[in-house]
Amino acid sequence: MNIVCCLKSVLLAAPERQVVRTADLSDLNPFDRPVLETALRLREETGGCITALSMGPPAAADALRQALALGADRAVLLCDRALAGADTLATSTALAAAVARLLPYDLLLFGTRTSDSDTGQVGPQTAVRLGLPLVTWVHALERTASGFVAERRADGFRERFAVTLPAAMTIHPAAVTPRDETLGGIDAAYEHGVIETWGLEALGCDPAEVGEAGSPTRVVSLAKKTRDRKCELLTGAGEEVAEALVRTLADRGLIG
Amino acid sequence: MNTFLTDKNRAVRRAVRAFCEREIAPVARQIDQEASFPWEVADKMGRLGYFGIQAPKALDGAELDTVSYVLIIEEISRASGGLGLCVTVHNSVAVAPLLAFGTEAQKQRWIPPLARGEKIGAFCLTEPNAGSDASGIEATALKDGDHYCVNAGKVLVTNGGIADLCLIFARTDPKAGRRGISVIVAERGTPGFSVGDLEDLCGMRANPVSSIRLTDCRIPVENRLGREGMGLAIGLAALDTGRIGIAAQAVGIAQAALEESVRYAKARRQFGVPIARHQSIQQMIADMATDLDAARLMVLRAAVRRDRGEPFSQASAMAKLHASEAAMRITDQAVQIHGGYGYSKAYPVERYWRDARVTRIYEGTSEIHRMVIARGVLGD
Repeated sequence: MNIVCCLKSVLLAAPERQVVRTADLSDLNPFDRPVLETALRLREETGGCITALSMGPPAAADALRQALALGADRAVLLCDRALAGADTLATSTALAAAVARLLPYDLLLFGTRTSDSDTGQVGPQTAVRLGLPLVTWVHALERTASGFVAERRADGFRERFAVTLPAAMTIHPAAVTPRDETLGGIDAAYEHGVIETWGLEALGCDPAEVGEAGSPTRVVSLAKKTRDRKCELLTGAGEEVAEALVRTLADRGLIG
Repeated sequence: MNTFLTDKNRAVRRAVRAFCEREIAPVARQIDQEASFPWEVADKMGRLGYFGIQAPKALDGAELDTVSYVLIIEEISRASGGLGLCVTVHNSVAVAPLLAFGTEAQKQRWIPPLARGEKIGAFCLTEPNAGSDASGIEATALKDGDHYCVNAGKVLVTNGGIADLCLIFARTDPKAGRRGISVIVAERGTPGFSVGDLEDLCGMRANPVSSIRLTDCRIPVENRLGREGMGLAIGLAALDTGRIGIAAQAVGIAQAALEESVRYAKARRQFGVPIARHQSIQQMIADMATDLDAARLMVLRAAVRRDRGEPFSQASAMAKLHASEAAMRITDQAVQIHGGYGYSKAYPVERYWRDARVTRIYEGTSEIHRMVIARGVLGD
């Protein structure tokens, strides 16, 4: 089974409010770790190849090396100045173009969201662009003759879908416990791992459809939200405090 | 601070830090108080390559550089000194000398299970009457056909309670003085091999330090590491590498102490403000951070020299001396910043203080290190 995992190098911090994507300030999106784990387990069962795909600046290569250290077979980074400033739509355009060049594949996997922008849109948008069936928030996969039965967990429901391949999925963050990189894996990823870098030409995309040029949305400004917090101390005997706590929470509509 | 670090080094540090924060930090207090070795965590570490950090991949190691090695030891020690000790001793004074001095057959036989963490290694030099003066050891390994008959009473053996493979320093030629000492590899389970009670130590309590006794223990000649009489040379070479690890351990403990102190100084209020606003606390924090930074740079320098194949004995001695002394000062200041709470087991700084104390003693005391360093500086 050939699996393409779309990953993101996320920003860990923006010191002095500057967004600088360096290796020290970036990491593999934690929501993408269960994606890789799912792919690794499927490969252990069925064999095949796992390709890790990402779009980002050169520093994003580190996230792909993490994927290689975890066991991915191939890593592709879409990196071109023309791709910079992409919103989710333009990102999905570039990813879809890349995935189309990674044929044949059976599964296209995404995380449900990212820890630094949290839109949850890129997976579904890319699936639509490629005309693939999509199941989001997949918690469990069961193999069948023609594909999978995918169990989706969202909004308090469990839904089961029969899916034929090729298909796209976003993987529930709690679907599997991701493994750690082995030290030998990290060494191999950095000493022998290859990150294929694809620019606009290799993708064959129209420059007007990707990057900032292809993005219908713009971030106008970014400011940290300050939250007013206050501390209230309930005193008295255990039972009274418990009652008072329940009453306070209920009064504020926090519990039903 | 990242002057020496490659992308690979950073990736190693990130992965190890994540593992240590998730798996070790939550049990660190408990394993110290109960003086118990966390097998469950150690098994996971074994599968991830922590017990064969620099062993070749062909022998199931991770084949990392020395810089990665010190970062790993620093991170583990930041979470638990006792576990950091287990890993550094296993790698640097058990696996490393076997790799450096072992025959191909010995490496094939011993390294893979050690590198996978299925077997734990120990270094048995210290005896009741031989510590800083290693040449004073009384253990004997007398040849009897194709075996040595080994009699040894080794004390304060790090990893002693869990070790499967012990490098025993013993006299193969009792008349030859310093040149009569050899290294015999003894395996647990050999008749005559016994492990004494675990030591009830001040710090590093998660490490099962014990005595190890060999009584008329018959060990095949092929278990001798290196030539007869090479024992002290092997020991000193192993300790050169070992000291970088101990220095890294001191840096890790000191780092944890500094982080706790910063956190506490910002939260604790006295005279109407967080104590971090008081100049006396700021002075302490500044000294701690500077002392720590110097120690870390010295450790990295020693590691880089080793990776480049340059002489690193002096650099490693200086790093060990400074880092262990700095860790003592830093953990002491951490206790001071915490005031009465710093003296309580409810806070982790007293553990750092206890753990740091022994780094000035083992793998060469500060005094022995000053002697070695002075010899180098004076050109004697």
